[in-house]
Amino acid sequence: MADITDRVDPPRKTSLTQSSAAVARRKRADLILQGFGLGAILVAFTVLFILIASLVTTGFSAFVQTHVTLDVYVDPDEISEEQLPRGGFQDVLTDAMLANLPNADPEDDVRAVRAILSNGAQFALRDMVADDPSLIGQTVTMTVPASDPFDQLNKGNVDRATPEGQRRVNDREIEWFDTLDEAGMITTPLNFGLITNADSRFPELAGLRGALVGSFYALLTCFLIAFPVGIGAAIYLEEFAPKNRVSDFIEVNINNLAAVPSVVFGLLALAVFLNWFGLPRSAPFVGGLTLALMTMPTIIIATRAALKAVPPSIREAALGVGASKQQVVFGHVLPLAMPGILTGTIIGLAQALGETAPLLLIGMNAFITSAPSSPFEPATALPTQIYIWADSPERGFVSRTSAAILVLLGFLVTMNAIAIYLRNKFERQW
Amino acid sequence: MYDMKVTEQHVDDLQIKMKAREVDVFYGDTHAIQKVDVDILDKTVTAFIGPSGCGKSTFLRCLNRMNDTIDVARVAGDITLDGEDIYDKRVDPVQLRAKVGMVFQKPNPFPKSIYENVAYGPKIHGLARNKAELDEIVETSLRRAALWDEAKDRLDQPGTGLSGGQQQRLCIARAVATNPEVLLMDEPCSALDPIATAQVEELIDELRTRFSVVIVTHSMQQAARVSQKTAFFHLGELVEYDDTSKIFTNPDDPRTESYITGRIG
Amino acid sequence: MTLLAFALLLLAAVIGYLVNWRAARAIREGGQRLHSLMGFHGLFSLLMILVPVLTVLLLWLGFEGPVINRMILASLPAGELEGLGSGAIQLISAEIRSIAGGRIFGTPEDWKLDAADRLIALRTWSDILLVVVVVILSLGILLFSRSRVTADFRARQASESIVKGLMIACSVVAIFTTVGIIFALVFEAYRFFQIVPFTEFLFGTNWEPQIPIREDQIAAEGAFGWLPVIIGTLVISFVAMFIATPVGLLSAIYLNEFAPKTVRAVVKPVLEILSGVPTVVYGFFAILVVAPALRGTGADLGIDISSNTALAAGGVMGIMLIPFISSFADDALSAVPRSLRDGSLALGATRGETMRKVLFPAAIPGIVGGVLLAVSRAIGETMIVVMAAGLMARMTINPLDSVTTVTVQIVTLLIGDTAFDNPKTLAAFALGLMLFVITLGINVLALRIVRKYREIYD
Ligand SMILES: Nc1ncnc2c1ncn2[C@@H]1O[C@H](COP(=O)(O)OP(=O)(O)OP(=O)(O)O)[C@@H](O)[C@H]1O
Ligand SMILES: [Mg+2]
Repeated sequence: MADITDRVDPPRKTSLTQSSAAVARRKRADLILQGFGLGAILVAFTVLFILIASLVTTGFSAFVQTHVTLDVYVDPDEISEEQLPRGGFQDVLTDAMLANLPNADPEDDVRAVRAILSNGAQFALRDMVADDPSLIGQTVTMTVPASDPFDQLNKGNVDRATPEGQRRVNDREIEWFDTLDEAGMITTPLNFGLITNADSRFPELAGLRGALVGSFYALLTCFLIAFPVGIGAAIYLEEFAPKNRVSDFIEVNINNLAAVPSVVFGLLALAVFLNWFGLPRSAPFVGGLTLALMTMPTIIIATRAALKAVPPSIREAALGVGASKQQVVFGHVLPLAMPGILTGTIIGLAQALGETAPLLLIGMNAFITSAPSSPFEPATALPTQIYIWADSPERGFVSRTSAAILVLLGFLVTMNAIAIYLRNKFERQW
Repeated sequence: MYDMKVTEQHVDDLQIKMKAREVDVFYGDTHAIQKVDVDILDKTVTAFIGPSGCGKSTFLRCLNRMNDTIDVARVAGDITLDGEDIYDKRVDPVQLRAKVGMVFQKPNPFPKSIYENVAYGPKIHGLARNKAELDEIVETSLRRAALWDEAKDRLDQPGTGLSGGQQQRLCIARAVATNPEVLLMDEPCSALDPIATAQVEELIDELRTRFSVVIVTHSMQQAARVSQKTAFFHLGELVEYDDTSKIFTNPDDPRTESYITGRIG
Repeated sequence: MTLLAFALLLLAAVIGYLVNWRAARAIREGGQRLHSLMGFHGLFSLLMILVPVLTVLLLWLGFEGPVINRMILASLPAGELEGLGSGAIQLISAEIRSIAGGRIFGTPEDWKLDAADRLIALRTWSDILLVVVVVILSLGILLFSRSRVTADFRARQASESIVKGLMIACSVVAIFTTVGIIFALVFEAYRFFQIVPFTEFLFGTNWEPQIPIREDQIAAEGAFGWLPVIIGTLVISFVAMFIATPVGLLSAIYLNEFAPKTVRAVVKPVLEILSGVPTVVYGFFAILVVAPALRGTGADLGIDISSNTALAAGGVMGIMLIPFISSFADDALSAVPRSLRDGSLALGATRGETMRKVLFPAAIPGIVGGVLLAVSRAIGETMIVVMAAGLMARMTINPLDSVTTVTVQIVTLLIGDTAFDNPKTLAAFALGLMLFVITLGINVLALRIVRKYREIYD
């Protein structure tokens, strides 16, 4: 090693605290990188903020609904007991409205005045009278939803300053509405209809009931299939399967299945479940079946991770006292892995709840005005309902779409919170 | 193999390079080392010995503030380099580490070519003005690490493709290339075979001519062969620190004697 | 009736359990030593009954509908179905079914009413037959299981092998799903390529699937060339990746190396929330906020931006992919051994230098795998583009224009009308097949890269 001394290194006698220009430059580069990173995170945060803010600002108004309270004289000339449930309910309501609008013309303005009330008002009155025919000839006080344009007017979504031709309510209609408002007939209570009504062409009547029930049935089906099958597959692959090419192939298969686009599962469901097996279209059961196939890989992967996390000592201890492999797995390992499995399952179900594309392909975007009473009846689901409403032109549907999204996000947050709670509560108990 | 031969050396007239006073290190609640006082001399090899878990690595990492990278670690006490407090607020650990280099127990070459591995430090510190200078630094460093002959024909191949011993010498070359003033080595030979160990030991002896070296080792023979000063740690305490010859022939503390003679550890 | 069948099956299983259990107990009380515990004898009978009969029951229910449908159609008066397409035939069977269900619209022909009667009768017979089959099978197996109870019958091993068989069946479901996907896609796409030549589909530059609805124009030239569709897909995916890759990687770098613990503790869950938002929500966000904002900005700058611009769909898709890429890159960076980081820092490198020159390059394989998976997601993403991208296929790579994507076409072709002999419907399956092949290719590649990468540092 003769040439070690070839290079002469003069000792650098710089102090540790005084920094050279080069060091300053390097530090600046560091700060720039950090700045970019922070900026990237800010971008993500800003977007999330805008997303939530835009949903809340447009959606919150759908959680209340403009109602008109009015005294209706159930005119026996229009409505007779024999004809029920038919009768001139519409006219009776219009008369009641006209009675409160002195400046409306009882002849020419009938259509316009009638349009202040929701189309559902007549059915509400009909049901009331049909339930209790003794109301005929009496005056009843009822509170009915206002129609969408007036709902928007009341919520301040209509700018009164815009030229008359460019808004959906003209000056006279605004005047009538103000008259009613001054008479104390306009109220804006919480909109329970959003949850209790099924879908409707009229925004003020449209609700999520059908979608909620549909999603419930679909998720139930999904859970009942994906949970046992997923756990069964995971236990076999993790605990029993010989490590050979077959199990390797299954494993690769599952990983790939988890990354197949959801719309492809829709195609599968359409071709196989609907076309070949002739299962009913738009049924939550078929939706759940499809979602189960999509959720299964998630559950399998989560279950295997949970099983892996159970320390071998527990297996060995149980095997040591003469239990069979299956007794050990089902009696000792599985219960310990359960919290992890449940966490993974809930997360998988939350994904399934938000899944839309495959449900569109099996027709769960149909316009259905009643909630399904079994998983085999046509229904929508929450995400497809959002899609339908997002596609509807009426102004009222914009806020309802946002409100429906907020409901959906509420469910997702709850489910994820439960998953996180489970994960934290049972984390490493051994 | 080697005998227990103690290197004779006069160390009294050398200056103190690093000085540690009352150093305590905590990992969260565990008190890893307590009240350690050590002077590291310039142009000297200092060996840290002691049973596993006694805090040798921990103390070594204090000397170039690598403990900063462990979230739970907390260091108290004074450590100076050429009289400057290295834990001073104004001190930039980056500049400190340029002066106090480190070689780890497990070889950790970057997944880059051999050349790039060695050139890494000089590049970031701007030690070379041009490619020719960089080439020269790389060659010199590889020669010092006794790796040049094996590596000169494969400089552009990945450093991770070398054998374990070659990797460790590459890491030493990488540390040497930055031209540090102090080189910390944490069990640098534990992954090496006897021949590579001998080469590294020879290398350490060469390195001593230009800077001070601190080496953690579990091999008593190695400490005796390469070092002039030895510090014996036990249960987080510095039990004894003296000339290597003294520690190995006539230790003051009975614990040191037991360890040297193989009764504890 | 179906419910009755299930109930009977359950009852038989429970009875089987009890019968075998008592038989085993009788043997033990007779002084003999049992090889297996009594419970296992019971379990054996329970599983023996439950598994096969349940399989039969489910298969029955699955095939009942189609089989009866075939029988009804076959029994229709000769000539009624002559020359009708499968769509029309489907309509007829749907009508017969609704008549049978009591929902009669208008005045159906007599043969339809007859068919409906036959349908009701067939269904009743099927139900009765099902119950009979369930009862006979259950009883038979129950007796058989009972006969197996002896002192040295290995009931535990026997029931465990049944359980194991069940678990294997569960594992195979995943394979069946894949096979089902491939088979369905290939089968329907093959039918499509019999109508439209494969080369025309692959190289055609004109996509106008609405035209061939009228029979005489089925062969309308170039109407099913997928090039503009796949180009639109690539444009939107490119826009998405253009946004998601830098933002995702930079935020991962920050989180992994620079972020204080508290920041990490806040940011990670927020990114998780972003990745849990359903895509239909992002789609609505695109049409509610992003597209109008882009149009407005464009108008201010004097640029004409289409309301279905690829920028809106792609941009929102990019936002959706940020957390995906970020968490993948974060994992890949965390997988780089700590010793490399220490090695770099000990040489006096700054944290930024360590990240840029050591950690990031070392993590590149893992990161590339993640980015590839994100590309495959972008290509297969459906709802955002269905809501925010265009319907018209155009040969353009200008992201300000409106373009359409493979998934948009699949959904629009299949919403509503799904007669399976229509090239329009089948075209969706051809597109689906291409989509599946492309994404599968990317996924396999990506997963292989990621797997290799994990092996390096394990
Ligand atoms: N990152 C860490 N976090 C928490 N405790 C640590 C950490 N590193 C080390 N310790 C603890 O500090 C003590 C000293 O460890 P150190 O690694 O310094 O020992 P050592 O003398 O180098 O041992 P060895 O000879 O085995 O390398 C030990 O008890 C160890 O458990
Ligand atoms: Mg150590």
